[in-house]
Amino acid sequence: MVILKVEHLFKAFGGLQATSDVNFEMKSGEISAIIGPNGAGKSTLFNLLTGYHRVDAGSVFFREKNITNWPPYKIARLGIARAFQISNIYLALTTYENIRQAILAQQRKTLNIFKPAAQMAKKETRDLIEIAGLSQHANTVAGNLSQGDKKRLELAIALGCKPELLFLDEPTAGMSKDETHETMSLVQRLNREMGLTILFTEHDMSVVFGYAKHLTVLHQGAIIAEGSPESVRSNEAAQKIYLGEEA
Amino acid sequence: MYRYGWLGVIFAATLVLPQIIGEYWVHIAVEILIMGLFAVSFNMIFGYMGQLSFGHAAYFGVGAYATGLLLVKTSVPLPFCLLISMVTAGVFALVIGYFCVRLTGIYFAILTMAFGQLLYYIIFQWYSFTGGDDGLQGIVPPDWLINVKVYYYFTLFIVIAGLAIMWRISESPFGYTMRSIRENAERTRFIGIHVRKYMLINFVIAGMFAGLAGGLLGPFNRSIAPDLCNWHQSGIPVFMTVIGGPLGFFGPIIGSVIYTFLFAFVTGFTEYWPLTIGLIIIAVVLFVPGGVLGLAQTKFKAFGAGKIAESERGSTETEI
Repeated sequence: MVILKVEHLFKAFGGLQATSDVNFEMKSGEISAIIGPNGAGKSTLFNLLTGYHRVDAGSVFFREKNITNWPPYKIARLGIARAFQISNIYLALTTYENIRQAILAQQRKTLNIFKPAAQMAKKETRDLIEIAGLSQHANTVAGNLSQGDKKRLELAIALGCKPELLFLDEPTAGMSKDETHETMSLVQRLNREMGLTILFTEHDMSVVFGYAKHLTVLHQGAIIAEGSPESVRSNEAAQKIYLGEEA
Repeated sequence: MYRYGWLGVIFAATLVLPQIIGEYWVHIAVEILIMGLFAVSFNMIFGYMGQLSFGHAAYFGVGAYATGLLLVKTSVPLPFCLLISMVTAGVFALVIGYFCVRLTGIYFAILTMAFGQLLYYIIFQWYSFTGGDDGLQGIVPPDWLINVKVYYYFTLFIVIAGLAIMWRISESPFGYTMRSIRENAERTRFIGIHVRKYMLINFVIAGMFAGLAGGLLGPFNRSIAPDLCNWHQSGIPVFMTVIGGPLGFFGPIIGSVIYTFLFAFVTGFTEYWPLTIGLIIIAVVLFVPGGVLGLAQTKFKAFGAGKIAESERGSTETEI
């Protein structure tokens, strides 16, 4: 079943064509990666899909529902969550409070003005902290977390939204090799065990080829190749533009 | 709960206080309570939502005029007047807030102030209804509240009830959503929260409690003047909150105690009050940026520790 469908997507910033006629589909349960050199338009694409930017032309469909140019909060409520490239967390709140906030929002309980938040979503929050590997830091103020833990928290907040479709913008940026491996196997588990559909961007080719089942190569805002990792690896256009040095 | 033991001590002290101090100081104490409620309502927007409202006196003034007019022109009981003050102030906050929450930062501050001034001039000019710049005279409280000590206890009851409700709200999921909007409005949108709607609801809640505080003032002073809506008046909760500390619920109350007491004390022997308060504010901002409560929290953990976390504010950026 197609969960996400993108048709003829265009976006320009001034004279720069950041997204140019992008078309692609994702099937439910898929784990895919978007790759491309810096400035290829990966983050812009995520921003268009999640309502951060308005699209100039084209459409985005989620389960056949046209969600083009919906505001971010509505898109999030449909079950589409994202983790940002530069961790985008609540620096003055604790890890626990960060995650609880996402869970309470997902449970539509944020309009409750009388019940103490401290008594709500306890189990869900603790479970998610555990899954994210942040148990020792539950009461640490997020601003004091290490870079890697901040990225983990970023991911945990996205998971707190209980998404069906998850966008991860360089989920392992700034992490050590071990941390990268740990995070990506978590992502893989989410995909395999919970059936989460995941689209991620990544610079590290070993991560991309190790975890993604499907690749899309972006260059100057346009898709120049897509398919299985093997087919992309042997694709000439992709090799030339992006994989050149490595292949 | 031992952490809140000191609240019980303070509560006991507020009960005995009027029995041991002179009548003049009971007047000051009533003022501290009313202004404390006003300042805490302001801090729902400033401390929790992270926006500076520089027109919060508008809702205080609307509340004062609602109760004032009702007491002068009708014979409805005071508690009912206070309820009407809250509702009226809430309606004004809803209409004005609808526009203000579209903006943040300095633009939010300027727009709230502009609306506040607009309201001030309307009240100032509308002689037939508000009494114009003469204000409203002869706002007499019901007989059972004529004694200032009784009025003190009445005010204490209303203010504690108001504070309890706001405390509850500040600890609720809604309260934490306010903190999350303050910390990172963008992230909050991406977890599925309609940020502008939440800001408007909070603006209305803050306006309602400002209105309640305002309602208490008329029958206490026996008169009100349009100056209650002026931007000077909007500055007072700002000063109180900065002095007391915006990052704890009780900061603005501490600020109200210090500000109101100092005002009464200093104006007793000099007319240079603006200079005095100016110097105090400069000193606080430069040397005690977390206010008195922030200082107390870092020195003594008992004063609601854990909330210290909030003194570390920050913002994040996203790649575009």
